[in-house]
Amino acid sequence: MNVATLLEKRRVQWSELEALCDAMEMRGRTDKAGAAHHRGAEGVSRFSELYRSACADLALADAYQLPPGTVTYLHRLVARSHNQLYRANKFEPTRWGDVIFREAPQQIFRDPCVRIATIVFFGLFALSMYIGRNETLFPGFAEAMVGSAQLEQMEEMYEKPLNGSLDHYVPMAGFYIMHNTGIGLQCFAYGILIIPCLFILAFNAVTLGTVFGYMGRDGAVGGDNFYHFVTAHGPFELTAIALSAAAGLRLGVGLFYTAGLTRTDSLRVNAMRSVPVMVASAVLFTLAAFTEGFLSPSPLPYFVKAGWAILSSGLISFYFVVLGFPRDGFQLKPAPEVSSPWSFPDPVDESIAPEQRHAT
Amino acid sequence: MAASYALDTTIAVVTPENIAFNYQLAGPFRRLPAYLIDVAVRWILIFGLVIGIYLIGGLIDFALLGPFAIAAGFLVYFGISWFYGTLMETYYNGRTVGKWALGIRAIDVDGRPISGKRAFLRNLLRIADLAPIAAVSTFSETVPPAFIIPTGMVGLATMLVTRRMQRLGDLAAGTMVIVDERSWRLPIAKVGDPRVPALASFFPGDYRVSRSMARTLAVYAERRHYLTSARRREVARHLTNPLIERFDFRSDIDPDLLMYALYYKTFLADSSAELPDLGPLAGYSPLRRDANKPVPHFDGIPTAEVVTDTGASQPMTEAVLPSGGSLPSSTAAPSTAAPPSPESPSPESTSQSPAPGNASESS
Repeated sequence: MNVATLLEKRRVQWSELEALCDAMEMRGRTDKAGAAHHRGAEGVSRFSELYRSACADLALADAYQLPPGTVTYLHRLVARSHNQLYRANKFEPTRWGDVIFREAPQQIFRDPCVRIATIVFFGLFALSMYIGRNETLFPGFAEAMVGSAQLEQMEEMYEKPLNGSLDHYVPMAGFYIMHNTGIGLQCFAYGILIIPCLFILAFNAVTLGTVFGYMGRDGAVGGDNFYHFVTAHGPFELTAIALSAAAGLRLGVGLFYTAGLTRTDSLRVNAMRSVPVMVASAVLFTLAAFTEGFLSPSPLPYFVKAGWAILSSGLISFYFVVLGFPRDGFQLKPAPEVSSPWSFPDPVDESIAPEQRHAT
Repeated sequence: MAASYALDTTIAVVTPENIAFNYQLAGPFRRLPAYLIDVAVRWILIFGLVIGIYLIGGLIDFALLGPFAIAAGFLVYFGISWFYGTLMETYYNGRTVGKWALGIRAIDVDGRPISGKRAFLRNLLRIADLAPIAAVSTFSETVPPAFIIPTGMVGLATMLVTRRMQRLGDLAAGTMVIVDERSWRLPIAKVGDPRVPALASFFPGDYRVSRSMARTLAVYAERRHYLTSARRREVARHLTNPLIERFDFRSDIDPDLLMYALYYKTFLADSSAELPDLGPLAGYSPLRRDANKPVPHFDGIPTAEVVTDTGASQPMTEAVLPSGGSLPSSTAAPSTAAPPSPESPSPESTSQSPAPGNASESS
């Protein structure tokens, strides 16, 4: 076989494929590749035709005794075209509603990690709030936990009654989105290592709880103003912290508890499951930031803020429980046949894609 | 499964067409500079945008738009510092600015471009990969606590133990980073030396090289540009000695030339074509049994084809096949820039007809 002649024959097609790849990498379409038969649907079918023949050339490279350099060239050409032919989904904004209102609450409802994170966060929060408030039984707890300098700073901050203006509200809303969502994302990312995530979660719970308790003491300076400030955004923000930690823990747990999958497959499946929870948490953080920016520092009467807190808690409960209640439970499943020795075992989890289920 | 474990850093991806093609994986030494470039780009972007926002806010009406400018500044900082990588990788085919500069790209483990969700995951989890954080203030009290250095040990350790060199974020998102080489040419060595087809015609017509030999020849022909002529002969000799024995060539034949001729015969020559016109070389035979034949007068090949980087045209007569001693390398290769090896005879000595005794001199 004269390789030179063969290559010369094929090279025309390969360089045409390269030109099409160039055009598609730049604009995502074949129109600009030059020739008239590269426009529109014709160009796409020409591209796939050339791609398949390049695939065949690669498959036959050994039989043709192509030099290794040419085989490497073909590998790259096929890889490049493959990347243009098989596209992945970018973000799909049309599906975001579905993710937030269907996938996320159902995932939150059935995920044990959410329960663990909630118990850890709100349990530590309540405990440290109780201990921090009770000065007679636990003297010096608040100062030891938060530091007296910071406590004094808090008292100073809330000494005066709340009275904000637009100049104050807007930047603060922006700041809270940046700062709090950042903490949430950090908590999520560290979840894959479990310990740092739990540490951040517990640290925030204890700090916040102690400050709440300290400010709740009878003689605390600015205690009223403090509760005035935190009531409105509390439900959104505290839930969001717990949720982002839960999403992170799902990653870490997936690494250790594999449910029969290989470790990396398990991690991947769990990570994909955790993304809707993290998205829901980010939405909650944003809502909390707007509340904290606009409603909390405003001089509105306390019952408005308390009303908003109750309303937001109700919304969160509705979201988690009503939207999250597993609907698949109501769907009638056909009764399983009498098991025969030849039948397949039931699939373990419907949410795992088939190829991943057989990965082990 | 075990068969697919590669020893080098390539990874095979099987397409729906049932073709397995290879990607070259990018290791930490390519990914770290890319990351550092990205950090720099991120900060430049943030500073640029924030300054721009303040300028616009100040130009129009700072009293009214000032608060919004500050809020926008916070949001820009937040968005860019957390989602720069996600957005770049989603919309620019797995590349950020740093990755583009280093010629690497993040793709799905199936070989497809990464989706938005995967880019989101792998970029968020970078924080975990950069852990643990070494705070300089631990060692010295005077250093401000702002100087905290992510050591990246988690990501490095994960990259070392996974076959696809994935960090934790890659594992969770199901992605990998590959080398995306842009410069490529069709690598088939060209033969410009007229001695090569001539020598190739002395191989028996029914001789077929084995598959591994064909591969070796191709690698040799592609790589020989990077070797000096002495090194070429040294490398080629191991393969050509059996050939010389088998086909009864003269033992002083240049091993490099013989390898190249075999390459020509295997890959480039048309087997059905006539024997190439040997031209002025017609009377010279590289075979041992012809060593004592009288040699016709030879006035050399036209020197027009010979290009040397030194500018001086090298007389082709120096490179006549049956000359004694070791031959210089083929003149068509770019490496002719290398000066002729010192032991190669001067043009005056090679212009004589070869002495019969030379053939057995080196055997």
